[in-house]
Amino acid sequence: MSDEFIQWLRERDDEQLCALTSARPELVTPVPAHLAGLAARATSPSAIGRVLDRLDRFTLAVVETLTVHCGPTSLDALVCSLSRALPGDGRSAGLAARVSAAVDRLCALALVYGRREALDVAPGVREVLESPAGLGPPAVEVFRHYPQERLEAIIRDVGAGTPAPFADSAAARGRLAGVLDDLRTVERLVAEVSPQARAALAELAWGPPSGRVPNARREVTAASAKSPIEELLARGLLAATGDESVALPKEVGLFLRGGRLHRDLSPEPPPLTGKRRDPDLADRTAAAQAFAFVRSVEDLCERWGFDPPGVLRTGGLAVRDLKRVATLLDVSEAVAALVVEVAFAAGLIAAGGGVDGDWLPTTAYDMWRVKSTEDRWAVLTSAWLTTDRVPGVVGERDDRDRLLNALHPDLRRSAAPEVRTAALGVLADAERGLAPAPAAVLDRLTWEQPRRRKPNRDRLVEFALKEAEVLGVTGLGALAAHGAALLRSASAGPAAAAGNGARRQPGSAADLLGPLLPEPVDHVLLQADLTAVAPGPLTAELNRWLAITADVESTGGATVYRFGEQSIRRALDAGHSAGDLLSMLESHSATPVPQPLSYLVSDVARRHGRIRVGTASAYIRCDDPALLDQVTADKRSVPLRLRRLAPTVIASRTTRVALVDALRAMGYAPVAESLDGDVVIAQLDTRRAEAAPPAKVTSSFSGLSTEVVAAAVRAMRAGDAAHLARRKPTGAPAGQVPRTPSTATIAALQEAIKQGTRVWIGYLDSQGNASSRILEPARIEAGYLTAYDETRAAVHRFQLHRITGIADIND
Amino acid sequence: MNDGPLIVQSDKTLLLEVDHERADECRKAIAPFAELERAPEHVHTYRVTPLALWNARAAGHDAEQVVDALITHSRYPVPHALLVDVAETMSRFGRLRLEKHPVHGLVLTSTDRAVLEEVLRAKKIAPMLGERVDADTVAVHPSERGTLKQALLKLGWPAEDLAGYVDGERHPIDLAEEGWTLRPYQREAADAFWHGGSGVVVLPCGAGKTIVGAAAMARASATTLILVTNTVSAHQWKQELLRRTSLTEDEIGEYTGSKKEIRPVTIATYQVMTTRRKGVYRHLELFDARDWGLIVYDEVHLLPAPIFRMTADLQARRRIGLTATLVREDGREGDVFSLIGPKRYDAPWKEMENQGWIAPADCVEVRVTLTDDERLSYAMAEAEERYRFCATTPTKMRITEALVRRHLGEQVLVIGQYIDQLDELAEHLDAPVIKGETRVRERERLFQAFRDKEIQVLVVSKVANFSIDLPEASVAIQVSGTFGSRQEEAQRLGRVLRPKSDGGGARFYSVVSRDTVDQDFAAHRQRFLAEQGYAYRIVDADDVLDEA
Repeated sequence: MSDEFIQWLRERDDEQLCALTSARPELVTPVPAHLAGLAARATSPSAIGRVLDRLDRFTLAVVETLTVHCGPTSLDALVCSLSRALPGDGRSAGLAARVSAAVDRLCALALVYGRREALDVAPGVREVLESPAGLGPPAVEVFRHYPQERLEAIIRDVGAGTPAPFADSAAARGRLAGVLDDLRTVERLVAEVSPQARAALAELAWGPPSGRVPNARREVTAASAKSPIEELLARGLLAATGDESVALPKEVGLFLRGGRLHRDLSPEPPPLTGKRRDPDLADRTAAAQAFAFVRSVEDLCERWGFDPPGVLRTGGLAVRDLKRVATLLDVSEAVAALVVEVAFAAGLIAAGGGVDGDWLPTTAYDMWRVKSTEDRWAVLTSAWLTTDRVPGVVGERDDRDRLLNALHPDLRRSAAPEVRTAALGVLADAERGLAPAPAAVLDRLTWEQPRRRKPNRDRLVEFALKEAEVLGVTGLGALAAHGAALLRSASAGPAAAAGNGARRQPGSAADLLGPLLPEPVDHVLLQADLTAVAPGPLTAELNRWLAITADVESTGGATVYRFGEQSIRRALDAGHSAGDLLSMLESHSATPVPQPLSYLVSDVARRHGRIRVGTASAYIRCDDPALLDQVTADKRSVPLRLRRLAPTVIASRTTRVALVDALRAMGYAPVAESLDGDVVIAQLDTRRAEAAPPAKVTSSFSGLSTEVVAAAVRAMRAGDAAHLARRKPTGAPAGQVPRTPSTATIAALQEAIKQGTRVWIGYLDSQGNASSRILEPARIEAGYLTAYDETRAAVHRFQLHRITGIADIND
Repeated sequence: MNDGPLIVQSDKTLLLEVDHERADECRKAIAPFAELERAPEHVHTYRVTPLALWNARAAGHDAEQVVDALITHSRYPVPHALLVDVAETMSRFGRLRLEKHPVHGLVLTSTDRAVLEEVLRAKKIAPMLGERVDADTVAVHPSERGTLKQALLKLGWPAEDLAGYVDGERHPIDLAEEGWTLRPYQREAADAFWHGGSGVVVLPCGAGKTIVGAAAMARASATTLILVTNTVSAHQWKQELLRRTSLTEDEIGEYTGSKKEIRPVTIATYQVMTTRRKGVYRHLELFDARDWGLIVYDEVHLLPAPIFRMTADLQARRRIGLTATLVREDGREGDVFSLIGPKRYDAPWKEMENQGWIAPADCVEVRVTLTDDERLSYAMAEAEERYRFCATTPTKMRITEALVRRHLGEQVLVIGQYIDQLDELAEHLDAPVIKGETRVRERERLFQAFRDKEIQVLVVSKVANFSIDLPEASVAIQVSGTFGSRQEEAQRLGRVLRPKSDGGGARFYSVVSRDTVDQDFAAHRQRFLAEQGYAYRIVDADDVLDEA
C-alpha cells in the first residue's frame, strides 16, 4: 500500500508537489533525499496530525468517511455516504461538487490519494484518526484481549450456530467480526435485548463510543445476563476494553446510526448570528476604548516610573500591586492585568534595577510615549496579537495550586496567538457591524478546526474576544475597521503590524483609527467654581502648564482641572508670576476669566513670598547701625560674604568662629552669641574624639550540623559508586521486578534514607514499561522520591505511585 | 465626528456644555439617570452613580435608553467599558423584588436564582427572612421590609418594592386653588411622586415645596403625618395648609414640645419624635396612633438617624420626602434611597430662576482684613476658639452696618451663628433679634411685622435656617455660620430666593475674615452654591466702606 502511495506521489506533477510542500512546509524541513522520503515524512503520525488539525468540519468528514470505508472507494460512493449524513433529506444539489472539491484539496495535501474511482486515505491516516466520527474500534480490534473461550461463548450466543473449534483466538475474532458486520444479525441482536439495554446502546451510538462499568470483564452469557449491560456484553454488542471500561464496536455503531457516519454534517460553516450594530458607532466605540486603553498604559508606566512595584521571587507582580494598579486606573483587576501584560508584551515595562528587581518602564516606553495615540495603539495591539501570554488566567491557580500572578512566567500558552488570530478572523468574516455572539464564534471555530476544539481552547477564545473589546479592537462586539486593518497587517508580517516604518501605510490600523480619536484643543473653559474644563486632549504646552497650575479632577474625553490655593502656589513656586498666570488664563480661555479665579490668583500671589527663607551660618548683630555700615564698607570684609538683612543685622556664610576671628582681626571686639542670645564665654577648646562603640564580638564558629555532614558524605559515596558503576554497570538482579504494597514501599524508602543504604526498586515509566533500578534514596517530598540512580549514574526524581515495589540489595 | 454637547469621562461623570445648541435636549435625555453634581456657568457636571441608575430603573428607564442617550449626545466616542458597566449596574436593580403573596404576606422573589442564593447566604440578611416558599421565593418578615431594603442596597442588589401600600384612613383633602394655581413643575412633582408610590422630590428653596406636599396630600386624600424640623416650621406648614387646601383648623393637629394633638393631619417635629426618656423613644406611638395614609418628610436631608430607624418600620405607607438638596454631610444618601424612596423629581436651581419661579440672586463674599491686634490674638487663640474668634471679629460689625446702610429701604436679614455677636449687631443696627430663647409668639409677631414691612432689618440666629417664610427679604447678610456646612449656606440663600413682588433680584452677602479659617470654611460652604451656578463675587471690605 505504501508503495502505491509513493507511486501516486511520483505521478503528481511538479506544480502539485509545490502546492503540497507549500501547504505542508514541515515536510521539507529539512529537505528529504527522495520522494520516498517525502512520502515517509508525509505519512508520519505527527505530520498527519498537524495537517488534519487544519481541516474544517466537512473536509475532515470526507477523510473520516474514507477511513471507515475499508479499501479504495469511488467518488460516487463517497458522495452517497456523505449525503446520508446531511440533515433532513440531505441530497443538496451541490454536494457532489463540494465533495469533489474537498477531495481535490485532500489530494493536494496528500491525505487522500488514488484515482477518482478508487480513492483511499494516505497510509498512516487510519492510525492517527483513532475513532473517526466518534465510532468505536472495529470488532477485530475491540475483542483483541478476549480469550478464545469467551469469544466462542459469544459466537454461540449471537446464534451463529455452534462453531467448529477455532484454531486460535484470532480465528474466533475474525468469525465474530464477520457476524457483527452483517446488518441483519445485528438488527436481530438489538431486537432481542431489553429496552433498557437498547437505551444504553442509543446513548453510545453518537456520544463517545465507550463507557465505564464496574467489573467489565465478567463472564456472562445471554442466559445468565441480569443487567442491560450484561445482555449487551453477552451478545458482543458491547466489548470490554479494560477492567472497568467498555466500548461499542464500530460495526454495531454503524448499524445504530443507520449507516450514517455523521449526524448533522453541514457542507457550509454555521452562520454567524449576533446583534447588528451600526458599523460607524462600533468603530467609534472601539476608538474610545482604544484611547482609554492607551491612556491606561501611559498612566501605569508613569506611575511605575517613580513608584515601581517589586518583582516577586517567582517572577510575577504581587496581588497587592495589581490591586493598586486597578485602583489607579479605576478598572477591574482583570482589566488591570491585561494592561500590565500588554505593556509587558510590547516591551514597555520590564524587570530591572535593584537586587530583587522592580517592574520599571523601559527606554522603549520613552520612544513609545512620544508617538501619536493611534501609533501607540498599533504597537500595543500588535504585541497583544502575537504574545503567547494569556492575561485572562491571572488570579487563577495552576495544577500545583500556585497562584498565577500577573507577569508570572507561567502565563504562557503556545496556542494563544493562533487562537486570537483565528477568533478575530471569524469576526472579520462576519458582515461589517455584526457582533457575533461568543457562542456563534465558538461554533464557527469548531467547524473550521474541529480537531482543535478543547475546553482550554474555548477559554482562550473567550479571553481573546473579551480582551479585543478592552483594547478597542472591537466595539460593541463587532470588529472595528481599524481592528480589521490590524488583523490584515498582522498576517502580512509583524514589522508591518507594529507600524515600524517611518511612514504609515494608508489603510493601516493607525491610519484608520487616527480620525476617530479626539483632536487636541488649545483652550479651556474657565468657571466660577474654580474649575477649568479642557473639552478634549490638550496641546502639549497647555497640558504641561495646566498640570502645574491646577489639579486634575477627572479624565476621559475631556479633562477637568481644579484651581486651588495649593495649585496656584505651586505655579508661583515654579517661577510664574501672578501676571503670567492671569494672562495665560486669559489667552487660553474660551470664556472670560471668572472673578473668583482672578481673585484667587492675586490673593495667593499677595501672600506668596512675603516670608523669605535663606541659609546663613552666622550673623552679626549690633544696636548701632553706623557701626554695621562701617563693617560692610570695610574692604577686608568682602571674603566674609556679608549680607545686610536689616539695619541692625548682617548675615554671613562663614562660620561663627571664623567671623569672630575675622572681626577681631579687623579691630573690632565681638563676642559670640548662643541661639538664645546669651553670650558664649570663649574657652580654650580642648578636643575630644567621638567615642567608638565597643566592637561586637562575633560568636565563635559552632560547626556544621550533623545532617549537612551526613549529606556531604552520602553525596561523596554516591559519586564514588557512580564512578565504579560506570566501569561495571550494576546489572539488575535476576528475577521479577519487585512488588510490595505501597505503604511498605514508602516505609522501606524512608528507612533507606535514614540509613543511607541502597535499594532495588521496580518502576513504571510514563509509557507503562516496567523496569528495575538501583537507587540511593535522598528524600521524599510531594509525591516524589529524589534519589541517585546508579543504573543511570544521575540524580532523578521518581513518582512514588509509579514505584511498584522495593527490595533490599544483598551485597 | 459627532458634535454633541456631552463629554463622557472615564470616572462616569458627564460634562455638558451649556451653550451648545443641543444642550437642552441632551439635559432632558441624561437627567433621568445622572445626578447633577455641579452647574457652573459653562459646563455642567452630571455623575452617573449606581443610585442614579437605579433611580432611573425605578422610574421605568432601561439600560438601552441610557446607553443610547450617552452615545447620541456624546461628542467623543464613549468607552465601551463604561457602557457595559452602566448596563451591568442597571441590571442589578429589580432582580430582587418585594411582592405581596396571598399566603405568606410579604415575599422576596427573584428572577435570577444565583442572586437570591447569594443574598440568602449573606449573614445580615438571613435573620430578616422567613421560610423558603419555592426556588425563587422566600418569605420576609413584614417588619423587616425597610431594613431588608437597606441591607440589600448595601450588598448592591437593590430590591424593587412592589408590595404596594396600605391606603390608610380616608380623609378628604382638596387643593383650594383660589387666587393661586399650582405651578406646572409642582404638579409634575406631585404626579411623579404619586406614580412612583414613594420617593423624594428635590426642589430649590423658595420653589414651594410645601405646596408640593399639599398636592401630594390631595392626591392621597388620606390621613397624613407630616414631620418637620422645628416648631416654627410646623406653624408655617399649618398656615400654608389652611391657605392652600380644604383642611380646616380642627383637622390639623400639632405634635410639638408644647402641644400634643393628634388629628387627621398631624404635624410633628423631628425633635419631639427623637426625644428619649430612659433610653426609650416616648413618642413612637404617634406612628401607630392612626392608620396614616401618607407620611411627609420635610427637609429630608436633615432626617436624623432615629427617624431613619423608625421609617424602616413604615414601609407599607406612602412616603414623600421634600428637600432642596440630596447632599447629606453624613453621606447617608443610600438610606434615603432605600427607606424613603428613589428621587422622583428634581429641577436645577438656575432653570427655575430662568423660568421666574425663584428670584435671581447675586452672591457676594466680602473679605474683611483683621487689624494687626486681631491678627495677633487670632494667632494665639486656642484651636477650638479660632473660628469663633475670626467669625465674630468687630471689623465685621462695621462692614455689616455699611451693607445695611447701602440697602436702606429694602428688607434685610442679618444671619449669624453666635448669640453675642448677634446681640451686639442688633444693638448697633437698632433691629430686633430672634434667637433660640425667643418665644414662639414673639417670633411670629416679629416675622409678621417684617412681612408687613414694619421692620426692615431683622437679626436672626440659626433657628431661622429652616422653613420660615419671609417673602420679601431681598437682602441677606451672613456674618457667621456653622463652620463649613454647605447645607446651611444653601438654606440661607434660599431665604432670599422667593420671587419678589417687584420682580427684582436678591442679594446674598457673606462677610468673611481674610487669611483665617473663616475663609477656608466659607470656601467649603460656597462650593455647593457655586456648583448650583451661584457664583460668588469677592470684594474687599475696604471697597465697600469707601463706597459708603
